[in-house]
Formats: sequence, structure tokens, C-alpha cells
Amino acid sequence: MTRWKKFILLLSVIGPGIITANVDNDAGGITTYSMAGAHFGYSLLWSLVPITVALIVVQEMSARMGAVTGKGLAELIRENFGVRVTFWLMLFLFVTDLGNTAAEFAGWAASNEIFGISKYVSVPLGAFIVWLLVVKGTYRVVEKIFLVICVVYLVYIPAAVLAKPDWVDVTLQTLKPSFQFNTPYVVMLIGVVGTTIAPWMQFYIQSSIVEKGIRKEQYWASRIDVIVGCFLTDIVAFFIIVACGATLFKAGVHIDTADAAARSLAPLAGRYASILFAVGLANASLFSASILPLATAYYICEGMGWEAGVSKTFKDAPQFMWLYTILIVIGSLIVLIPNSPLIAIMWISQVINGVMLPFVLIFMLLLINKQDLMEQYTNSKTFNVIAWVTAVVMIVLTLMFVATMFF
Amino acid sequence: MPFFAGEIFVSEVSSKPVLDQTGEEIGKLRDIVVGMGDLFPAVTALVVGAGKDDYILPWESINLFNRRVISANVYVKDLKKASAAPTDILIFRDLLDKQIVDINGAKLVRVNDLKLGDVKGRLCLVAADIGLGGLLRRLGVESRGEKLFSLFHYKLQQRLIGWHYLQPIEPKLTRLTLTISRQKLPSLHPADLAEIISEVSQKERTAIFGSLDVDTAAEALHELEPRVQADIIDDMTKERASDILERMPPDEAADVLGDLPEAKAQELINLMEKEEAEDVQELLEHEEDTAGGLMTTEYLAFPPNMTVDEAIKELRLEAPNVETIYYLYIIDGEERLLGVLSLKHLILAAPHEKLKDIMIAPAKTLPPEAGEKDVAEFISKYNLLAAPVVDDNIVMRGIVTVDDVLDFLMPPASRKKRRRR
Repeated sequence: MTRWKKFILLLSVIGPGIITANVDNDAGGITTYSMAGAHFGYSLLWSLVPITVALIVVQEMSARMGAVTGKGLAELIRENFGVRVTFWLMLFLFVTDLGNTAAEFAGWAASNEIFGISKYVSVPLGAFIVWLLVVKGTYRVVEKIFLVICVVYLVYIPAAVLAKPDWVDVTLQTLKPSFQFNTPYVVMLIGVVGTTIAPWMQFYIQSSIVEKGIRKEQYWASRIDVIVGCFLTDIVAFFIIVACGATLFKAGVHIDTADAAARSLAPLAGRYASILFAVGLANASLFSASILPLATAYYICEGMGWEAGVSKTFKDAPQFMWLYTILIVIGSLIVLIPNSPLIAIMWISQVINGVMLPFVLIFMLLLINKQDLMEQYTNSKTFNVIAWVTAVVMIVLTLMFVATMFF
Repeated sequence: MPFFAGEIFVSEVSSKPVLDQTGEEIGKLRDIVVGMGDLFPAVTALVVGAGKDDYILPWESINLFNRRVISANVYVKDLKKASAAPTDILIFRDLLDKQIVDINGAKLVRVNDLKLGDVKGRLCLVAADIGLGGLLRRLGVESRGEKLFSLFHYKLQQRLIGWHYLQPIEPKLTRLTLTISRQKLPSLHPADLAEIISEVSQKERTAIFGSLDVDTAAEALHELEPRVQADIIDDMTKERASDILERMPPDEAADVLGDLPEAKAQELINLMEKEEAEDVQELLEHEEDTAGGLMTTEYLAFPPNMTVDEAIKELRLEAPNVETIYYLYIIDGEERLLGVLSLKHLILAAPHEKLKDIMIAPAKTLPPEAGEKDVAEFISKYNLLAAPVVDDNIVMRGIVTVDDVLDFLMPPASRKKRRRR
């Protein structure tokens, strides 16, 4: 294939990786990274290196499975592990994604509060907009708009620089792992992993690859898309942590409202820090709120063998419609409870992601090493090691978390 | 003759203990082997596992098979270890939880449970349970689920599909079913078949397409999206691809070829029969979304001095080869369009009348460069089923039928054809 043709092919398959990367920086993501920086300074930076490696490996595995088998992750799990296993997994993931959906609406509510709009107004409006977007099918256009606005996150890069952090310190902390054996640290670590490598994203990226019709011969192009996406997302994460570490941590500010988090942008934007932050957060929240519940409803229906599709009616695809509706309704209701701690909702949901991750990872590992499924595309030894280590580490961290609660 | 109790679901016997002649447990039921080849596949053996070891018990050795007891007339110590071969068809491994084609409903469904029953004295696979009841039964909560539903006055509907309406799509299963007479997929309407083909994974798609006869394959191919078409053609041998393209009406073949990379398209055209190849080449000269690109060259053409009687006789001979017989186009020696006649008027006319006297002249025509929108407006305005396409010299080039235009009139999301890049 000529170089020109290769380039064209690359352009045509770009999408899943970049989109997933941006969805990664959703309300839960921004909040978790901000809190990591604000409460722990630079001491969690080192984790971004292994996390990025793990993210690349895991995303690549999902994409590869999608390209080689042409089937979604939920379908593969159903066909290879049976309905009982699938059922329980779907149940737990549903609860996890309910938390994630609530986090998106919490982000939407929090960012609107910065503009002075009460959550009782913004959340129902937001839920309605999301529902409208999806059901009216203008999603493709809106997706592009959202993606463009996601560029807003790049402001964290100049923000971090302008905060004049001690770059020597930053570099040291990034390269030298440190660890604190106390609950807040362990929980935050789980949260950071969980928000970067969210279980639902593995289902989403595999389905995107399948839907784009990418075959194993063209897969090399998707791989590039995926890897670039992973780097982008973690570069933004890095700068968010540095920016918050240099501003909020130094000032001893504890993030419990979005406004507090916005102050990390003060060196860059001065009085406009809050507005800038709010715009970014609102955009990310709404974007992810349109994707997440939909993706969840799709993969659960895929696993359980139910009809799915946004253009279908309640009569044709009842389970899909109900799942989607319940996710949005309960997700927003959780946020509407008076005095619900919006920030807490956002980062706790990411911790749950981190706890559920090993289970999904283990299934992926079992599937991707099946010769008759993946032919010659099974995992290399390196990939297997990295993925298994990630799964084991997450399990250990979760156990540690439980342990620190009692000792 | 093994004794079994009426009908039974495989989930009800999964992992149940299998006993030998003395009542000692041989192991747990791991899987059931069926022989493909009949309308209802018959059980030929049981796979029983004890720890790491598997034993294969041929069906003849089973003397009891029901929900409570499964026993065989063998002795544990006589059994030799054996595993099921990858080419065997096993119910739990190969059929359960897989997608399958429901021929009646013309769609893909997922197998939640399978029912075994008596067919002519043998225990056979008789139906698939694709409903909620099957799901609940696999989870072990069917009776509780039913009670729960009855609280809401909701009766849990059983959704069973008889095996004679089902077609497995797993690659190795389709290959095996090739050897038997009953192939059910071709009985589906090509459009339904195409939809199913576009929903399954690539391996399954190749297997299904490979199992179709050339005519069905040709019809189904046209109904698919350009990208899927290209994929499928890539997976076939060039010979088979050109065979299928030959069977297709030239305008459909031109559509498919037009979406392939030029080199590949040329290769396939060269392999086609000369006449078909020429027709297709001619159509390929036009832009895709113009009258020239939409038209077909297979239409009824008659000389003006022919009588109605002769025309009807000729029509009977030509009908299988043309796209539509509803209009007859009257042309002169140089293929210039003189007029058009509808089938209705042909039949209502007296047998001795000449075509030139009953035809409508001049006919309303379109130029080959006319855009899709203009073609649609034209056909809609004159209430036509097909519109003739003529060049500047009024020489007839082809006809555009209304079905080709209907696709254009649909809202973007529902359109079948999508423009490439």
C-alpha cells in the first residue's frame, strides 16, 4: 500500500481512540485528577506512567479483539462464558455505570452552579437535552461539536506552566514511585486508575471498532489511533494534577466544590478561572452523559441477547429503552437529592470503576488468549504480563483499601 | 432403546450426575453431542466429565435420561478417556449462548436454552428458547421468576422457535450443513438475508455467504451496503465473485463494481462473460448518482410495426431477461426511442393492432446526466414505474426503475446506499 493510501486509511479509522480518550476526561476524570493534585501534591504523579502503559495495553486488547472477532466484548463473554456469568457481570457493571452516569450529571450540576444556575434547573434540562440528542439521532453532528470543545482541556497545560511549579520536583515525583499506606492515598490511587481505565470504556471501544467495520488487515491503523488517544488523555491528566498541585496543594485548599477546583486555573485565567473551568466541565459532563448510558444499555443488551437500538420503540426493544431511561433518570435523581455531595459522587464512582476493573480485565485476558478465537492475534507474553499485573495490582489495592479501613 | 421423559431442556440436565450400571457415579454431564444432517439433529452421545477426565458415552449405552436420573449400561472401570473433537457438534459448547438465524422472523436471535424431544423415536434437538423464560431457567430462578411475574399479572411468555426454522451461523456448523439437503437460508427474502449478513461478524458472514448458491448470493449481495459488499467480494475467489456478478442485473453489478477499487473491478469484469461485461462497462461510464448510473440496460424493446399479438408472444420469451415488463419501448432500426406502451394498454388492445398506433409518442425521457433528484422528481411527476434514458440523438440507453429512486427519497438515516468517501 502506498504511503498516501496508508495515510487516507489512517484518517478514515480515526475516531474510537480519540473519542474514548476524550470521554476519559469526563466529570469523574477531571474531579479525580484535580483532587489527586490538590490533596496529594505531586506524590501521585508517578502512577501516571504505569497507568498509561496499562491503559494502552488494555485499550489495544479491546480494539484487537474487536477487529479480529468482529464481535463486541459483551457478546464474546456471553458466547464463551455462558449466561450466568454474563448476567452477574452485567448486573455489577450496571450499578457501576449508574454511578458513572450520576457523576456526569453531578459534573453538569456543579459546573452550572458556578454560573449560578441551581441544580434543580440544570439537571432536568441536561437530562432532557441528552435524551433528545440521542433519540433524535443528530448525535453524529453533536459528537463533533463536543470533540471540538474538548480542546478546552488543553488549557491545563499553560495553567500548569503559569503556576510555576518546581519542575525538578515534578520530574522527580513522576519518575520515582512513592507510596503511602493510608486509606485516602490508596483510595485516591484506585480512583485515578479507575477513571483512566474505566470498565465501560473497554466495551465501548471494542464496539466502536466493530461498528466501524475495521478488519484485522486494517487494524494497524486503529492501533495508532488508540495509542495516540491514550497519550492525549494522560497528558491532560498529568497537567491537571500538576496545575492543582502547584496551586491548590500549596495553598492547602481541599476540593469539595467545583469552584474550589476551578481555582487551579487562576494563574492562567485570573478571575475567569471559574468560568473557564465550568465551561470545560459542563462540556465534558454533557458529552459523556450522552455516551455513557447509551453505551451501557447497548452492551448489556448485547450480552443478554435483547434487541437494542435508539431508533427502536419501547415495544420493539423494551429492555434497551428501559435500561437507558433508568440510567438517565436515576443518575440525575441521585444528583438532585438535596445536599448531595456532588464532588464526592464524582470521585467515588471512579473508585468503583477501579474496583470493578480487575474483573473485566480477567475476562478480557481469558478471551484474548484463546487461539480459536483470536487465531494468530493472541496476546504476546509482554502484554499478558502487563495486563495480569494490572489486574492483580488493582485487586491488591482494593484489599488494601478494605484493610486500611479496619486497621 | 434409551428411555427419556417427553421433553426436556438442556439447562435442566446440565452438570447432572451420570450413573453407571452399578449406580456408581461416572461423572457430571458436561455436554451433549448431536449429529447434524437431519431436520432435527439427533443426540448421538453424551460427554461426561469427572475432574480432568472426559468420557464419551454413545447414546445407545444410555438407558435412563430425565431430570432426575441419567444412567448408562456400562461399567465405570470399562470406560476409556476420550475428548470431543473440535469438529463434533456439542450443544453446550457450540449452540448454547450463540446467535442463530430465525428463518421465520428473518432475524438473528440468541439461544438461551435448547429443548430436546422425541422425533420418530429418537431424542432430538427440537427447539431453541430465546425468551426470558430461557434466561431465568439458565439462572436457576425460573419458578421464582414466574411467581414474581404473576404478582404483576404478567404471564411469562415462552418463546420457543422450532429447530426447523433455525439456521446456525457458526462457521464450522454452516460448513457441515452444506453436506445435507436442507438449507434454509435461501428461503429468506434477499433483503432480510442481507440485513442478517450485515449484522454478524466477518467470519460468520463469510461462512454464510459461502454456503449460498450463486443466484441467492447475487440477490443478497446487491442489498448490502457498499462497504460490506467490498469486504465479502474480497473474501471470495475471483471466479466465484465474477460468477455472482454475472447473475446480477447489469445495473446492480455496476453498482457493486463501481464501489470497488478500480484495479479489482477491472479484474472481475475481465473474468465475466463478454456480453455481461459489455453491459456493465457501459453503465460504469456514467456517474453513480445520475440517470446513467442508476439505469439498467435490460428492458423490452419492440419495432413499431409489430402487432399486439406478436408483441405478447415475444414478451413471454423476453420477460425473464428484463428488469420490468410493465412498459414496452418502441424503437426504430437505430435504437431511437419512438414511443412507449404500458402492459395494461397492450393487453387491452386488439391483437391485430400495430404497436405504433397504440403507443404514446413522444415518450417522456431523461438524459443520462440527469441528477438523482431530477430523476426522482420526474418519476414522481409522471407517476411512472420506470423512466427511459435517451441520449442527444434520442437513442435509447436504458431505463431507471422506481425502486432505484425510492432509496434516494428515503431520509438519510434509512438509506441503503451510502456514498463511498
